[in-house]
Amino acid sequence: MTLYSYRHLFIIDVLAAVMAVLMTSCFGDEPDYCEADIETATLHVARPDQFFFQATDSMQVVFSTDSVITFTVRGDADVTALSPVFTLSPGASISPQSGSTHDFSQGPVTYTVTSQDGKWQRRYKLSVVPTHIMVADTLFYNFEHYELEPTYKRFYMWHNTLPDGTLGNDWATANDGFRISMGTAQPMDYPTTPLADGYDGAAVCLTTRDTGPFGRMANKRLAAGNMFLGTFDIQIAMSDHLHATRFGLPFTSKPDRFTGYYTFEPGPTVQDFYGNPIVGRVDSADVYAVFYRNHDASGKEVVLYGDNVLSSDLIVAVAEMDYVAPTSQWTPWDIKFEYRKEVDEQLLANRGYSLAIVFSSSSAGGSFIGAIGSRLCVDKVRLICSREE
Amino acid sequence: MINIKHILLFALMTAFTAVGADALVLDSLSYDARLGYTVGGTIPTHIGREIRGINSFNPGLNFSIGVEATVPISGRWKAHTGLRFELGSMDVDSRVKNYEIEVVRGDESLSGIFIGNVRIKTTQRRITLPVQAQYDFSPEFKLRGGLFMGWLTSRKFWGWAYDGYLREGTPVGAKIEMGREPGDRGDFDFDQNMRHMQWGLDVGADWQFSRRWGLFAELTYGFSGLFKSDFHSVQPLRPMYGTLGISYRIK
Repeated sequence: MTLYSYRHLFIIDVLAAVMAVLMTSCFGDEPDYCEADIETATLHVARPDQFFFQATDSMQVVFSTDSVITFTVRGDADVTALSPVFTLSPGASISPQSGSTHDFSQGPVTYTVTSQDGKWQRRYKLSVVPTHIMVADTLFYNFEHYELEPTYKRFYMWHNTLPDGTLGNDWATANDGFRISMGTAQPMDYPTTPLADGYDGAAVCLTTRDTGPFGRMANKRLAAGNMFLGTFDIQIAMSDHLHATRFGLPFTSKPDRFTGYYTFEPGPTVQDFYGNPIVGRVDSADVYAVFYRNHDASGKEVVLYGDNVLSSDLIVAVAEMDYVAPTSQWTPWDIKFEYRKEVDEQLLANRGYSLAIVFSSSSAGGSFIGAIGSRLCVDKVRLICSREE
Repeated sequence: MINIKHILLFALMTAFTAVGADALVLDSLSYDARLGYTVGGTIPTHIGREIRGINSFNPGLNFSIGVEATVPISGRWKAHTGLRFELGSMDVDSRVKNYEIEVVRGDESLSGIFIGNVRIKTTQRRITLPVQAQYDFSPEFKLRGGLFMGWLTSRKFWGWAYDGYLREGTPVGAKIEMGREPGDRGDFDFDQNMRHMQWGLDVGADWQFSRRWGLFAELTYGFSGLFKSDFHSVQPLRPMYGTLGISYRIK
């Protein structure tokens, strides 16, 4: 390369300047924006403390892949006349208008966003859901409800059964990120897949996968299979992958024990960041649950990420399997939460704590170190909670 | 395009046949060695509205060497041909909006609308065969015009989309941010999509300021694109080389 570059030569600067002027003079008119997103949604109410559980609940950042926006508000909140306000992608317009008043007690209101160039539209359903905090004794996660993700139909997603019997979207995976690098992969070739015949009914299997030619190009050669309570932010999966896994969802019970069944079979060869084998090392898996305060000292909303989920100062209790022993037989675990801090009951009732359950087929997968083929399957996960009287 | 290739070959064969047929013509053949600085290698055919600004542009500065021959035809008209070895390059960093991009690796591809910055670099080594008509305004000053054929012996085209985001597939698809560092940005590499063969217009001027030494200027503009016709991942680009140099009369 050095042979061909003479950047220091004056003539290059002159030529570059001339070309730049020539080229600039022939730029066409700026094209209109073609995006049609709601970027944030905000609800302004007279008495936020009586309406929301947390002051920060009044504003939501809407992911580019979301078309459903849900505000969870206090059970006795009046939702018959609310005026959500939106910020949109540049140039876009929305109908009904931002700030218009609607009755949300009859269900969601549909908004249509149109791009500046008029060629693209997106529809969003916004719900405001009054919620009575239920303090469950035990939460069951059986991984029986899964389906192909509806937009691309390339990979599986899971639904959990909520205490009231309806299905929720509490489990997230990084499957959508894998899709970016391996668009040709079949659903069962993704890192996180269902296993029809698990310990009891269906289970979920996490497999560390090769990310193919794109992965090699980007020095992100593998994707550990993962599954966690939280959300996955595809927007930053490429630029800032450790922050794409947003671990934890608001949790209103005090967890006591974390139980379930697993199998773990490490892949044959652990490879380092550059894809070179690490001789003698056996891959390890992650099975843990973290209970933490979801606002920091300044009142800012917090989720934990791949780089601080086990080290944040906001962690209140952790239940972690110290060593996920390799086994091809379904093996039970029963881990007690170790509390580091007191739990504030008032804060607990106001959704001030979050719980993250994290499973990964390669512990160092976040650093792209692990063994391709490492496989962790889990089933019949229970969170046994204690009720403070 | 095949037709043009045939015409070029025919013109060349005719020229050589003519040269071979007549010993007097062979005697009158003159040839010179040439050394030049070449600027460029690649330019966009047009700048689309999607390109919103040029952050930096380096047309590259490379050498070319060659041996070229001139044979009299009639009066002041002569035929000119030769063989040149050229290095071409380009390094452009532009700001884009709604830029259609497709990144391909092996069987995998990722495409969509990109808003951000795109860096494109290319280097090429080319062997060029010009076939030109020359008109001598005076013994010192000559103009040439004709066609060239070029073969790339080495071709590299690579770059990355950075500091921006992709809307996957369509403008309402998933938004995927791309960072600045390798691994966080969207790298691409299109060496294999470049044509081996190029052809186009070749014009030149010579100024013979002494018995042996002269100065020349040459401009080649490719009619064929830089890429194969089924390739649409980046905007259409064409080979264009500008050369300034000195010539030495061997005979």
